[in-house]
Amino acid sequence: MLFEQLSGNLIQGLVLGMVYGMATMGLSLIFGVLQVVNVGHGAFIMVGAFTALTMFQAMGVPPVLAIPMAFIIGMSLGMLFYYGAVKPLVSPSGIGIRKLSARGKGVIAGSVVGVILLMWLTSGFFKVNIAIYLFLGIVFLYAIALYIYGGRRQDKAAELATLLVTFSVGVILEEVVKQLFTSEARGYNWDIGKIDLGITVLPYTKLLAAMGSLAIAVILYLWFNKTRAGMAMRSVVEDDVGARVCGVNVDWQYALSFSLGIGLTVTSGVLLTMFIPVGINPYMGGPYTLKAFVIAVLGGLASPYGAFFGGVVFGLLENGSYTLFANIPGLEPFAMTRFFSFVMLLVILLIRPTGLLKAK
Amino acid sequence: MMVKGSGKYLPVVPVLVAYGALLGYGLMVPGKWQLVSQLAFYCTLGQAFNLFMGMTGYVDFGYVAFMGVGTYGMAVSIYNLTDKGLGGWVIVIGFALAALFSVLLSLAVGAVALRLRGAYFAIATIGVNEGFRFLIEGARIWNGSEGMIFTRHMKQALGKPGAMAMGTFWADVMMFAVAILAAVLTLVYMRNKVGYALTALREDEDAAKVMGINVTKYKIIAFITSAALAGLLGATAWALKLQYVYPTDVFEIHYTVEAIIIVLLGGAGTLMGPIVGGLIYGIAKYFLAIVLPGFQLLIFAPIIIAIIVLFPEGTVGILKKKLTGTALQRYVI
Repeated sequence: MLFEQLSGNLIQGLVLGMVYGMATMGLSLIFGVLQVVNVGHGAFIMVGAFTALTMFQAMGVPPVLAIPMAFIIGMSLGMLFYYGAVKPLVSPSGIGIRKLSARGKGVIAGSVVGVILLMWLTSGFFKVNIAIYLFLGIVFLYAIALYIYGGRRQDKAAELATLLVTFSVGVILEEVVKQLFTSEARGYNWDIGKIDLGITVLPYTKLLAAMGSLAIAVILYLWFNKTRAGMAMRSVVEDDVGARVCGVNVDWQYALSFSLGIGLTVTSGVLLTMFIPVGINPYMGGPYTLKAFVIAVLGGLASPYGAFFGGVVFGLLENGSYTLFANIPGLEPFAMTRFFSFVMLLVILLIRPTGLLKAK
Repeated sequence: MMVKGSGKYLPVVPVLVAYGALLGYGLMVPGKWQLVSQLAFYCTLGQAFNLFMGMTGYVDFGYVAFMGVGTYGMAVSIYNLTDKGLGGWVIVIGFALAALFSVLLSLAVGAVALRLRGAYFAIATIGVNEGFRFLIEGARIWNGSEGMIFTRHMKQALGKPGAMAMGTFWADVMMFAVAILAAVLTLVYMRNKVGYALTALREDEDAAKVMGINVTKYKIIAFITSAALAGLLGATAWALKLQYVYPTDVFEIHYTVEAIIIVLLGGAGTLMGPIVGGLIYGIAKYFLAIVLPGFQLLIFAPIIIAIIVLFPEGTVGILKKKLTGTALQRYVI
């Protein structure tokens, strides 16, 4: 009985683990290239979830087809926040928008136009309030100040600064989405049948989400290893000074990998809603941020594929330990599972901070 | 900067003036006690947090866990010992337990997390806070997720008017005491070997090690002091004031973030910074909640980004630069 329960849950854990892994790749990519921990990670997952929800409910687009849209939204958000908030803190040349190349200016203009278009498309949801104008005013003034003043690199507190900036970016996203969609929990129902394995039942949507995650991980792997652009990005991970000497535009690689990381994260939000299509609300990201940290550390923090495997391991451990805790009387299995995952985090950080799966 | 002689502890004057003025304002102006209590909470939070983060440059994202166990220390004392006929002494025992719990937790956390640096430290400490909360809920320690409500016990221990006064007035006064204790400890550390060692560590940990400074020892001293202060703050601001405790309330990561914001607004590693930051943050939050309820975070988040990118030294940091070379230099650190 226990064995059947356990193996059924482990299958679920494997499928969920792939989605978890995909949802963490963006975090690891950004840490690997920029050495920035994206504390607002969960908020970007939430944006993806709302993209899937809106496209499914308003336009009847199945969530699978929402993936490219989510990726584009993620890339634009990534570019916007990179140039607006992260670049002044981490860029090796330590400059602001003022000294941007023509391409950088084009990207900013494009991102702003994209975001405005997005707002216009969703304008039916707008409830205009004086606070929104105040918010937009502050953002506008900040942009002008950044343009004139340029920001500067803060070697000493850069790490703290990036943690806080990414956290604040997450808060901005949550609050903006709350203004657009209110904070009530939503869900959608996309039923395309299910497969009965005897010990557990898997809806096709879950399988599709896992396969999609695997496919994206494989594409990313091929892109990193077989294309020039991917190798350029990897060279920055290895040694950014060396990459610069070899003629890689490190500034642009930073921007590209940040927005690619955000793009992947937003995409994973779509896949996660295919797995759990309920409970979509502006503050749903918090638990995912914490899980993503555990997974990223499992995989070595700086490696996107490590993160993918870390996700699979985490999914198996989470569901496996849940089954075991549920059979011990006097415990609340849900909370104990979460406790277990954080114990795991600490143990790994203590004995093997380079991640479980890295040989070196 | 080595300061010797009688002027060594002069910067305590503006601290005492600031807290005295805040307390006086609360006592004189009717109807403002609620605001004053909130401001005192933020100042104390910043002051206690600054002792570790400001002086070492390490960001403890799980800081609120120390406040949480401090709250539980007081709660456990009142909840379990009131029937033993100890009267008001349960409060004293509660403070001792609060300090003890937070020191023990900080020793456990420090043993793991202080070996790590930078982003790894931040992630490990987030894990500690969440892990501890889920341990309490999952293993049903201290009533688990049902929490502890001890209003009845408070009334039994202090009498009905006494318990009321404790919640509405004396808890806040004790908070001021914790704030001043935190400020004095910060100053003493700054002016002694601990502070010099930590400054060296903050600037360049490897170089400090090479110079023969036992960085681990000083990191642990600052970490434990800061944690114990957080425990005391939790015991006053949450346990004595609210007279109930739920794990989801006291392990809420947003308090850590508020602490970081306060310290940054004021200036990390300065003595006056947390007071200035706490006042700015508290007043802004209070009035935004009145004028634009529900929009505070939307307004705050871009302001925080702007401050971090454009003014990384914080208010007091800028002030310190401006005052260098003037007579006031000795008072503002």
